[in-house]
Order: sequence, then C-alpha cells, then structure tokens
Amino acid sequence: MGRGQGVGAFFSALVAFAVGVTVMLSLLLGDNPALFGDRPGSDELARRIALPGDVLLRLIVIFLALSIVIGIANLLFVHVSRLTSGKFYSAVLLASFGFTIYWYVTRRGDTSLLEAVQLPIESALAALLFVSLVHGSSRVMGKRNDIWGLLFVAVVVVVLLASLPLAELAPVKAWSDWLMRIPVSAGVRAMLLGIALGMVVTGVRAVLGQDRSYRG
Amino acid sequence: MDDTTLQVYSVLFVLATVVLVYTARYFGARRARRRAQRQIAGFDALPGWAEGAIESSRPLHLAFGSAGVGEDNTAVALAEAEFFHHVIQRVGAGDVSPIISTSAAATVPLGQDTLRRGWQRGGALTRTQWYPQGRRSIGYAAAVSGVIESERPSAHIFAGSFGSELALMIDSAARRGQGSLAVSDQLQGQAVAYAMADQALIGEELFAAASYAAEDGRAPADAMVMDVWRALLIMGMTVVLLLEVAKQMPWLSWPAVAVASLVLLGLGLLVYRRR
Amino acid sequence: MNEEFNWLEYSESVERAAAEAEENSGRRGLRRFLPGRPKLPRFPNILRRLKLPRLSRPRWPGLPSLPGLPRMPRLPGLRRKAQTQESVQPSTAELLGGQTNRPVEELDDRLRALRERSASGMMGAPPAPAPNQSLLDVDEVLVSPAFQQKPGGVISAVALTKAQQQQVEMLKDIVGGPLGTQESDGRRLPRPTSVFSLSALPRVLGTALLALFVSLPFVSSDFAEGELPPVEFDEDRNSATTFYNLLDNIARDDYILVAFEYGPAAAGELDMLAELLLRHIFAQRATPLIVSSNPIAVVHAQNIIREINRSLSDAHAPLTADEDYYLLRYLPGGALGLRELSENFGDIARVSARGQLTGLEFASLQEMTLMVLITDSAEDLRSWAEQVLPEVTDMQLLVATGFAAQPLAQAYADSVEGVMGPVYGMRDAYTYGEKLHANFSALDPSPPEQEPIVEPVQASDGADGATDSNAVSEPQIERDGPTALPAVSASPEATATSAATETSQPTSTSAPTDTPAPTATEATLLAVEVTSPQRVNIRRGPTTVDDVLALGYPGDLFEVLGTNGDGSWYQIALDNGLEGWVAAFLVEERVITASELAGEETNDSASLPRERAVMRLDFTFRLGKNQPRFYQAQAPAPGDRTELVLTRDRSQEVPRLQAMTLGTLAAVLVIVIGNLFYAARGLLRRRDSSGAR
Repeated sequence: MGRGQGVGAFFSALVAFAVGVTVMLSLLLGDNPALFGDRPGSDELARRIALPGDVLLRLIVIFLALSIVIGIANLLFVHVSRLTSGKFYSAVLLASFGFTIYWYVTRRGDTSLLEAVQLPIESALAALLFVSLVHGSSRVMGKRNDIWGLLFVAVVVVVLLASLPLAELAPVKAWSDWLMRIPVSAGVRAMLLGIALGMVVTGVRAVLGQDRSYRG
Repeated sequence: MDDTTLQVYSVLFVLATVVLVYTARYFGARRARRRAQRQIAGFDALPGWAEGAIESSRPLHLAFGSAGVGEDNTAVALAEAEFFHHVIQRVGAGDVSPIISTSAAATVPLGQDTLRRGWQRGGALTRTQWYPQGRRSIGYAAAVSGVIESERPSAHIFAGSFGSELALMIDSAARRGQGSLAVSDQLQGQAVAYAMADQALIGEELFAAASYAAEDGRAPADAMVMDVWRALLIMGMTVVLLLEVAKQMPWLSWPAVAVASLVLLGLGLLVYRRR
Repeated sequence: MNEEFNWLEYSESVERAAAEAEENSGRRGLRRFLPGRPKLPRFPNILRRLKLPRLSRPRWPGLPSLPGLPRMPRLPGLRRKAQTQESVQPSTAELLGGQTNRPVEELDDRLRALRERSASGMMGAPPAPAPNQSLLDVDEVLVSPAFQQKPGGVISAVALTKAQQQQVEMLKDIVGGPLGTQESDGRRLPRPTSVFSLSALPRVLGTALLALFVSLPFVSSDFAEGELPPVEFDEDRNSATTFYNLLDNIARDDYILVAFEYGPAAAGELDMLAELLLRHIFAQRATPLIVSSNPIAVVHAQNIIREINRSLSDAHAPLTADEDYYLLRYLPGGALGLRELSENFGDIARVSARGQLTGLEFASLQEMTLMVLITDSAEDLRSWAEQVLPEVTDMQLLVATGFAAQPLAQAYADSVEGVMGPVYGMRDAYTYGEKLHANFSALDPSPPEQEPIVEPVQASDGADGATDSNAVSEPQIERDGPTALPAVSASPEATATSAATETSQPTSTSAPTDTPAPTATEATLLAVEVTSPQRVNIRRGPTTVDDVLALGYPGDLFEVLGTNGDGSWYQIALDNGLEGWVAAFLVEERVITASELAGEETNDSASLPRERAVMRLDFTFRLGKNQPRFYQAQAPAPGDRTELVLTRDRSQEVPRLQAMTLGTLAAVLVIVIGNLFYAARGLLRRRDSSGAR
C-alpha cells in the first residue's frame, strides 16, 4: 500500500485482500477432496472451502449483469452534457435512444428494429473493417520500414495466397501450413504465456492491496 | 498431471509470485533510480504525445476496449488503469482532460476513478465514455470513430482488449493525422495493432506499461517479477526441450547434452542482456 | 474545419530524425533509445536566440553537435525557463515560451488563446506580428530552399550538421510547424484526408478495386475463379469429418448446447456455417439451446433461425421459440459467466433471452448431448475449454471457427480431450453444406419402417442398394446419442479391411447377428491398453530406433492391427490415420466387446472403472477419427424434418466463394502495391539522407 491513504483506503485494500484470498483459496483448494488426504471429513472440508468462493463469484456475475445499468446511465450523462456543447452525434444518439425505448415499450418484445437497423449497420461496418484492414496492411512498410515490416507483409501475403483455392498456389500452401504450424503457433503461445504471466502478477498485486486504486 | 498435482503447483506458483512481488518491491525501493529498464520504442513516444496534447490543447484518448473489471481480463483492465494513471499525470499540465473510453460497463467506475486520481489540477473533468458492449464490439469501434471525429484527440492509446475492430479505430485516427499506440490481449487485436498503429506493444509489455509510463521510475516491481518468471520459464522449457531431444537420440552422450545446454543458456542470457 | 497540429506527422518526423541519427552515429535498433543521448536545449532558450536580429546566418551556438534523438522538452521545464520572461506579446511563440509563473486559473485562458491563435494562424489568418516573423523565417534563415522542396530529405546548403538539422526539424515541430499560411507552406499540416483530395486517391483506388473484385462474381459467372471446395472433407482432416458425424448421430429430442460467440463483425464468415449447424440439428428434431456471452449474438442467432423459417414453404411448420429451440439469457462476465453456466446450468436454462421462463428443468450441463461452439476468436475457445469442458465428462465440444482462429483451434483439438474440429471458414461451410445436402437428399424419403441405424462398414454416401441389404444383414444400433456405438468387427483382420471404408462393400465376415440391440452384438475388437505407469512411445516400426510417431498414456486403448514376428511389438491404429508400433511389454491385450463399447446407458461406470470409462470414450474417438465407419452420416430417420436441410437457398454460395477468392486476390494486390510503394519511398529517403551526408 502506498503513502497517504486514509482509513477508507485501508479498508478497501483490506476488503480486496480478504475477497481475493478467499476466492483464490476456494478455487485452488476447494472441490478436490484428494488434497486433504483420505480422512473421513475431507469431502465436507473441500466443499466448505469451495463455498465462499462460489458465492462471491456468483455475486460478481450478478454485479456484472447489473453493470449494464451503469453503462446506460453513463451513456446518457455523457451525451446530454455533450449536447450542450452542440455535438450533433450526441443529439442523434439521444434521439435514437429515446425512439428505441418508445418502440420497445409500445411493441413488446419486437426485435425487428434491431434486425432492420443494428445488424445491417454493424454488418456494413464489418465490411468496412475489411477495407480498413487491407488498407492498413498496405501501409505496413510505411510505418515499419525495416526487416520486421517486410517479414510481416511477406507472411500476410503468403497466408492470404495460400487461402486461395488455386491449384497453382499449392507450394505456397505448403509454406503457409508450415508458417502457421510452427512459427505462428510458437509466437502465439509465447504471447499468450507473456500475457498470462502478466495477469498473474497483476492479479497478485491487486489481491495484496498494492494497486493504485486503493490509495487515497 | 492430475488435478491435485496441478492445484498444488498453482498454489506454489501464486505463493512464489507473492514472495517475488514483495522482494522486488523491497529491492526496487532501494535502488529505484538506478534500475535501467529495457527500452521499448512504444513508450518513448509517450512523452512527446503527452506534450503534444498539452500544447495543442486537445485531449488524449485512452481506450480500455473490452477489458472489463470482473471478467477474465480484469487484470488487463487494472494494469491499464495504472498505465493510464501515469499518462494522465503527464498531461496534467494541460487544460483538456483526457478521454477514457470502454466497452465494458463495469470498467466505467474504474476509468472514472483513474481520471479523477490522475487529473490533479482540478477543472473540468471529462466523463469516461461507455459504448455498448462487450468483446469485439463493432458498435464501440464506430462510436470511437465518432469521438475521433468530434473531439479531435491529439493521440490515442488503445491499451486493453480489442479484436480486429481495432482496425476501424486506428484507421480512422490515422486519416486525421492522430497518432496511436496500441496493444491488446486478444491475438487478432494484437496483430492489427502491430500492423497499423504507429507504436505497438506486445504481450506482457501490456502489463509493464505502468512502470514505463511512471515519470518517477517507480513501480518496476511487477516488471521485475515478470522478468524473473519469464526467465525461469524459458530456462525450464529449454531444459525440457533438451531432455526430450536427448531422449529421442540415445546415441547422444550426456556430456554433449550438457555442453549444448550450457551454450543455449549462454546464448539466451546474452540475448536477454543485450535487449 | 480547422487545421490542426498533426501529431502523426510529428511522430513520423521524430522517427525520421531518429533514423538519421542512427545512420549518423552507427547506433542501431533499440540502442538508439539508450540513455545518455544529448538533450535539445529547452526551447524557450532557442526562441530567445531566434529573436536576435543578427541571426542572419545559420548559427546554433546553443546546440550540441553530438547526434542522437533529441528529447522533447518537458513542460515543467518550459515553465521554469520562462519564468524570467515577460509574456506580453500575444504571439504563439511568446505564449508558448511564456507559460510561466502561472497562477493556474490564468493558464487556461492563455492556453486557450494559444489554441485559437495557432489554429487561426494555420488557417491563413492575417500575417502574424513582427516577433512572430522571425519564427516564420526559420526555414529561410536556417535552411536552404532545398529543405523546403524536399520534405523529409534534410539537405543542407549551408553548414548545418545533421544533428542541427534534426533539431531544426524538431524545433519546427515543437512550435507547431512553420506558422505560414496554408498557401505558403501546406506540407506539414495536411488536412484530414477528404475523399476528394489527392492524398486520398490511393485509398479510394484500393477500395474501389476491392469492391469491384468482390462484386464481379455476383454480376457475371465469367469471373468464376478458383476451385470449389470439395464435397467431402479432405482425408487428412478426420477431425472435421468427426465433427459432422457426431452432429449427425444425435437423436430426436436430444438437447444440444449451441454457443454463439461471434458478433456481426464475423457474420459474413460464420453465418453460413452457423445456419448449417442449426439446420442439421433441427432436421434431426433435436433441440438447440442457444447461449452466448455476447448479447448481440443471441439476437443474431434468432435472426438466423428466422431466415431458416423464411426458407420453409407454407406446408412446413415453422420453428418456434421455446419449443423447437431455446434462446437462453446471455451470460455476462466472460469466463465467469461460462463458469456459472457450467456450474449452475439449471438456473440458466430456466430463463430465456427475453426474460421469460422456458420451462426447462436440467440438473446439470451433463444432460446435454453435445456442445457446439461457433466463434471467431481463439480466446472464446480457450474460455470454453477451460471453464466448461472440465466440468462435464464424456461430452464433446464441437468447434466451428473463423479462419483467423483456426490455427489455435486446431491446436486445442489436437491436444485437449473432448475438443472436436475445427470446422472453419466459408470453404468448410460449403463442404459441410454439400455433405448435409447429399446425406439428406439421397436417402430421402426413407422407408417408414426403417429404423435409424448406424452401419459399421457403410460409408456415408452409400448407394441406395446398399442400405437395403445392410438394413437386415448388419448389426444395428439405435440412434441414441453420439456415444452410441455400433458393433465392432470380429477380428483385427476384418477391422483392417473395413477401415478402408469402401463404399457399398459390406464386410459380411463381421456381421455376427441380426439382433438390433447393441448389447447382443458380441463382436469383439482386439486392443491393447497401455499399462506402463509412464507414457510410452509409439514408433513407426517395431524397433526402438524407429521414429516416434505419437505417445501413449497410461490407460490408453489402441486397436491392434497385427504383431511382429516374435510378438514383441504390436502394430496399432492411431487416431490420425497412421499405424504405429508399440512394445508388447508396455501394454496388455484387451478384448473389447461391443457391449462394453456401446453400452453407455446400461453399465458404464458400474462395470468399468472410471478411468476405463473415460478411456473407452477416448477409444471411441480414436476409432471415430481414424475409421469413420463408427461415426457415419446416417440415413434420415422417419421423424426427421429433411425439408429443413433441403430448402436451403444455395444459389449465392458459389458466387460468394468466388467473391471471396477474388477479394483476397485484390487484397493481396493492394497490399503488395502499397508496401512496394512505401518500401521504395523508404529506400529513396535513406539514399537521400546518406547522399546528403
């Protein structure tokens, strides 16, 4: 814990620590009687250890389900305040918000608005995504004018070509398979390992109350 | 490996991490100033962007993506909050507070808290902006493109959880001449970040970001612990690999294996130190 | 629209400067960022110098001549330096330099004023007053006109060193570029690209090319490029075939958990596959329970089902929610939500996506027959494999993914027990559709008295005649779920022959009885079980110097294909279609009867130890993957709604595939051309800068 925290900060750190350790122990030790040897009460012990963690996790899921309310309130607050500074998009957003509410209230459970408006728009954006990705890939050498940029582009081109159903590209397919199977797969695992390590360390730090959020 | 063994190893791993974190804190505090961190190009751009934001009186945009408190990428959200905290402190001399956006509703309070703590100078504070919803949200990408158009941020830091929809945002920013630093814990987002962003971080750099962004060079303990684990992991994998190789080649003598491992270890250390 | 300080340009110029510094000093890679580089003097200092009237020749007395990336001055530094300065001049430069001794509340106004002024200055406002003029003249004074004409190529006509030139560049960046008007010098501050500007041309052309290529196949069939996907999965993709067969072995009233984990971004790629999987399930009158951790995806699933309903003619009853299918409430919390699903499935199945009661009562996830995951990301697969799969036993997770997630999905399928597939992308969807269509159209209508059966040696596309003969002569198994197994052949030899899965070639040797019940079919299979306490090597040949093909783990069962001369090695069948050899002292022979294999519902954990039960399943899949005779596409059952498969509109499939091919070609074209251009530009710049040196 850092400096200058008040009583509130201390308690929030304490709560975080208690909850974190409880859930961690429950997950690590609970539901596996084998850990406690062959004693007669080991089943019950394991179940008891698992219980608080389960309860807390279920509470979190409930909180997360409710958090959408925070999100919607936030959306409204942000855009009402932006409205005063004359932002056109915020006006559109609020108007569509109101209209959608009206629609759902008057036609209970009718999802046609979602289907007719949201899905097509999102699909169109997804199509734009393709253009953005191609355009972005075409500028890689502009940003990384070095061997790594070249390598990146080469791999992209090989993999794309290999995905084409053209008989002439059979050798490229062999390269692509090799690339995907060995270097790409190795790189992916390395990245995931790095992320997992980071998650453990950050998680431990949060559990120990060393996160900045606990400081005043 | 059965469940029990796995659980025992997990407990040991977590306990060891706890010990390492405290040890690193202790030693880190003693020689915080002298510790030289490996240079990462992405972070070198930060001071420039912070100053750019101040001098152009435009906000910096910090995006969590779908990194959500309470979800499996909670650690990502926490690490990025720490990172953003330092970034916000850097732009604290300006008169426009940064914009924080997220597509995970549970991250809104975290984002707002980060803003409030980092933005010490008082004055108008922006609200963290949430756009619906969840992983790989195209809606979020579209809304952020709108923010890019209407708020004209000076630069963007996309650090959190993004899928391929990151391309829409970075592209939109690039067309308006706004720089971007990007990193994601999702592989597709990471690929897009590398290809399209001006600066990209990779893998665990996402979690070390805070110690790089901190102006006073504090908080390198996490980075140190991660380094230690990573080094151990690499060594472990190397040893296992060598053992496997040795097993496949019965004609291979033990001295040869030992020499090969030493050479590999040396090479690894060399590469590690040279970075 | 105001012109604004372009930070992209700025960062590019920093990179450029860094690259040049690197060339100068021979410091490469990350080393150029190493500490110890010289700092640019704080710029208020420079500004003061610039304002000196005698600065008619380029002179940089304050600048160090050491190369290196200049560090941006920090604002607090600016404040400190400028404390001694009066800030009465309203110019940008003054304001920038004069952010001093600030009472905080004053600062805001001035910074705001600065913004307005600098913005208006860039937009071609009246020329700035005199002190600004000296700043405006930075280019003229310090650098030759060549400097201006060659953006990026810093060519010095006067005696500036490289490092000094970089610092000039930096300086100009710091003060927001030359404060000239748009007309006089627009190169540093381009407008955000508008569609009609020249700089947007490559983008517009690229987009047009993409759009053209993608739409051509829909306009004319002359642009049919590329081969269509095969109608059967390739032989080396047993896992995909198993995927299909597993889904084809479900029975009426089975519940299938279908996870829709993709949003609209992947709809183009995965919709077709998702629709086919749903049709396949519906056609067999099984009931999909659709879940998702993405709220939009649930709605999307409903949309797909609505499409299916639209394709049905009036004669057929449409699929109805909460009867033919269930859309369950969405699972918040990512992995935590999935954990909740696996542990409290009963609660989740009780409430539909609309918040109404479904009337479903399940004790656990175990009551599902299969789980199908349709996702565009490997992360979702990881969550499912980690959170849900360990909570159920003897259940398979069939994985359908997008192209991008395929490599990792394949790794999961290869290494994680219970993960099947992946079937991925549009091409697999086409193959799946063809298989499905062939299966349901060729054998429809089926004789009403024909029970749904699995023919052990009958290939999926068996001819009509074969079905007749087999229906009576072959052992028959009820369609009662994916783990329902047919009888197995009587001897290893027979197995070996039937493994070839010749179509319409029933192996009469292996047809023991006419009894339909699986328990009565006492055909046996010779297998070996790994009894060594540690894993064993399975080699290419019966010697220890042969390559290791695979590893066997304690308890694994492998079908025996033969032995070597002295019986010290067994030849066994592997799940990837290969045959391998394992040393006899590491394994024990087991004779597996069909009832042991197929009697899931009768004995199971009672008669077999738990490990064996699991391994039996494993064995099933080894065989299933290896020899499709155990899991074959079945003839539709009498109650099946074949129309749900056959009414599918397939007219757009081929053009879509061709559009994908052409679109990919266009993408490759755009990417290659674009990168060649940028690579060439980079090379030219490097040559320029080295030439200048």
